[in-house]
Amino acid sequence: MIELKGCQELETKVIKEGLCSLCGACVGMCPYLMVYQGRIVLRDICTISQGRCTAFCPKISVDLESLSQEIFSAPYTWDELGMVQKVFMARSADATVRAKAQDAGVVTALTVFGLEQGFIDSAVLTLFKDKSLPKGVIASSRQKVLECTGSSYMGAPTIEAFNRATQDDGCKNIGVIGTPCQVLALARMRAAPAEMCKNMDRLKLVVGLFCTWALSYVDFAQFLEREVPGHIVKYDVPPHPANVLIAYTEKERIDIPLEKVLPFVKPACSMCSDLTAEFADISVGSGRREVLDWNTVIVRTERGMRLIDAAIKKGVIETRDIPDENLSRLKSASANKKKRALKNIIQKTGSPDNLLYLKTRAEMVKPFLEEWEREGIKDA
Amino acid sequence: MLNIAVDEPNTTQLLMGNEAIARGALEAEVGVATAYPGTPSSEIIGTLAAVAKEFNIYAEWSVNEKVALEVAAAASFSGVRAITAMKQLGINVAFDFLANLSLPGTKSGLLLVVCDDPGAISSTNEQDSRHIAKILDLPLLEPATPQEAKEMTKWGFELSEKISNVCLMRSVTRISHARGNVVLGQLRRMSNKAHFDTSRKPYTTIGFGEGAPRYHQALHQNLIKIRELYESSPFNWYIGPERPELLIITCGSGWLYSLEAIEILSLKDSVGILKLGTTWPLPDELVSQYMLKAEKVLIVEETDAFLEGNLKELASEIKPGRTWTFYGKTSGHIPFFGEINPDIVINAVANAFGLKYISRDPEYHQKSQEMVKKYVPPRGVQFCAGCPHRSIFWAIKDALRLDGREGVVTGDIGCYGSAIGPTGFYQLKTMHSMGSGTGVALGLGKLGQFGFNQPVLAPCGDSTFFHAAIPALLDGIHNQSNFIFIFLDNGGTAMTGFQPHPGINRNAMGEPARAIDFKSLCEGLGAPVEVVDSYDIKAITQKLLDMLQDEGGTKVLVCRRECALIRARRKKPLYKVHLVSDKCMGEACGCDRFCIRVFKCPGLIWDRDARKAKIDEAICDGCGVCVDICPHSAIVREAN
Repeated sequence: MIELKGCQELETKVIKEGLCSLCGACVGMCPYLMVYQGRIVLRDICTISQGRCTAFCPKISVDLESLSQEIFSAPYTWDELGMVQKVFMARSADATVRAKAQDAGVVTALTVFGLEQGFIDSAVLTLFKDKSLPKGVIASSRQKVLECTGSSYMGAPTIEAFNRATQDDGCKNIGVIGTPCQVLALARMRAAPAEMCKNMDRLKLVVGLFCTWALSYVDFAQFLEREVPGHIVKYDVPPHPANVLIAYTEKERIDIPLEKVLPFVKPACSMCSDLTAEFADISVGSGRREVLDWNTVIVRTERGMRLIDAAIKKGVIETRDIPDENLSRLKSASANKKKRALKNIIQKTGSPDNLLYLKTRAEMVKPFLEEWEREGIKDA
Repeated sequence: MLNIAVDEPNTTQLLMGNEAIARGALEAEVGVATAYPGTPSSEIIGTLAAVAKEFNIYAEWSVNEKVALEVAAAASFSGVRAITAMKQLGINVAFDFLANLSLPGTKSGLLLVVCDDPGAISSTNEQDSRHIAKILDLPLLEPATPQEAKEMTKWGFELSEKISNVCLMRSVTRISHARGNVVLGQLRRMSNKAHFDTSRKPYTTIGFGEGAPRYHQALHQNLIKIRELYESSPFNWYIGPERPELLIITCGSGWLYSLEAIEILSLKDSVGILKLGTTWPLPDELVSQYMLKAEKVLIVEETDAFLEGNLKELASEIKPGRTWTFYGKTSGHIPFFGEINPDIVINAVANAFGLKYISRDPEYHQKSQEMVKKYVPPRGVQFCAGCPHRSIFWAIKDALRLDGREGVVTGDIGCYGSAIGPTGFYQLKTMHSMGSGTGVALGLGKLGQFGFNQPVLAPCGDSTFFHAAIPALLDGIHNQSNFIFIFLDNGGTAMTGFQPHPGINRNAMGEPARAIDFKSLCEGLGAPVEVVDSYDIKAITQKLLDMLQDEGGTKVLVCRRECALIRARRKKPLYKVHLVSDKCMGEACGCDRFCIRVFKCPGLIWDRDARKAKIDEAICDGCGVCVDICPHSAIVREAN
């Protein structure tokens, strides 16, 4: 058997297997891997067997246990929400931010606050424009951060911008706002040997975004070209049971039934077990029901807590307790994502001993499997 | 003054076989010399073109071999002797016209020289063109030395006139490209007035009640006349004992190999050699006379068993009951493929005598390879430093990888044919004859109804385009085949030595000529045309990606930049290129010797001590393209 090396392994085991979520972690470091039209393209063959691309990829040999030790100095628990110091609801105190933001503006507010207070000097964010592929940008001003509000629900190679930032001496303290797969890639970078990943000490803040799935760019963009005339300024997927993706153009609101959109979900997302970006400093998602105008916030690390505390103290964000029902719904949704991912992975491999990219012992996931056998998977 | 133009009869000059042919044409008062260049034939017309003005010759690099023969035929019809030269693949292009021309025949001497390439050193095929003489009932001559090449050329014109038809002369690489002493004859300057006699019967087989079969019959009768002339030809001779134990019958390069073989084996007293210069039709009487002196016959010839087959055919009729033991290709003593050489002949002769002969240490090959390896690094076929094809194929590769639909690139023979290998990033997937890449591309581009959904790209050299791709491109545009035609305009016929083509503003003789504007031509045909600099990887990649989005019919991309070798003769390099060693990442993750290992320009070399890339200043052409591919800006260029 021919040993697959470096980026060839990436191409065979991740890209061709439909595991790539387009996080962008493998891009921007070498001439071999590029992003084009929402795909990672292996342009030429590299012969390095242990390259950064495979070391950072969140879909190759991910050892959650050792990553947890590295990031949190604690074992990976398989708890629904991962490492938690505090869960609560919050919103930006600034109504203009809230108006522009996807939900309640906590991420935007924290990012701007982090930049203004010197927690960070550069924020790696995702910018979408209309129907084009969203891209990673390096922002260092309030204005630039505000340009990046909102989600297009398309997978974006944001970590490519982080790779650029680590090579840019103007970026000494970097914050990254990313989806669970992007946050997992950053965790792998932090856990990698220092000589492999230069300037990781510049990464001062990771804000994770709750994520259920992301859409494949080309297919979805073609769909939008057909279905949504005009320039799209905002996308939204309101909570269950709305069952729509809403595209707001400059003129109108167009509701697209979710069933029309779901076929464009990246296959990788069905095998992702992380809803709440478990390796972030702070994870943020939307609220539900009576707290729809608020964000759900999970603080996971000391440095996350420091930023939150400072932001509360300065009145940048307002907080309130999370209702019990919301917390239990969040936990259930998160557990369901794990169960669904494990089910899909095992269906693909045919054995619980082979979990594709998850390098975890079978007994660790056993409780999930048993629960799945017992109760099935309920949609949140 | 060129050697071939030396006006000193009876003196000796060292001439290349092809130059000797050109000299023979000068001594025969040739008026028109035409060819499409092709190794190993190119020097014949190239040399004549260089002295064309001095000798009142019209020399032409024709658009292709068929046209070259047509131009030569026109001269012959009008009382002017003409020579046309081509390689074995070229005669296939000319074959259609030749097969028509041979029936009504010619007037003034018309010599068609075909240079075969045994071993396919510079060709996509290995072919024995002598069969064409047999197919068309035309006389065939095969020179064995440069001197004989000159004499045969001269005589070929006379023979052509005697039979009013084309005379074929077959050379091979080792005759055309070998040099030998040639005793010169009298130079003659073309002085005939050209005139086409319209009162004579038209040159065609159609329309006068006779039809092709009657002409065909006449051609066969012509063979009898040719045979008679051949019986006393000075190009056939015998050396050896009265009754040889083994008779070698040979022609062309086989003559000197055979001579060498019996000398080395000290078999001069036992082996006779019948050397034939006139190989179709065979001089039956002469051959029979010597065949009857021997029991064993070895046939030595290049490529196919052409002579061997004809000899065996003859042998069956020489004398009822008389048999021979034949050694040659059928018996396995001489290979059917590749070039022959003295060793092959020595072994065949030794075998016929039951001798053991070891021409060299059996391990010699391996030992020599090992020894050479120490001093000479392995070197594959590659584009020159600064070759515009490298950047074009780089961009093609990038565009197709980015596109991701398994695009197919079809090609032709030419320098860019090397793109089938690593120097062109393995991009070409088909390569056959001149211009066939375009035809194959248009065919692929019409397979949509069968579910074919891969992009198709047809890179085509400028000279190749004019030679044979025009009909295919027209067909593609007309039938709205979905492919991208990439015109590789490097300002000449680079592979065979920069001969001009119809896109160039000078002709074979260096006179001003009208350059055909390819871009206007395509626009006139209604195809969308874009023009880019062949060195601009980014622009080519982007144009290709844009064109790949458009699935409506044939698109044309012109990549323009003159061949680096032509440039180097006339102009300074574009840039001074330096490598900043500190910035070079070498073998590290993030580079993995990208420029050396993937881009592979020979101007970039690996510094084993520093473990970094560096510029080989002796090789670097200063094109500056590597600056655009270095992932870490370690290569810099300064405009010259």
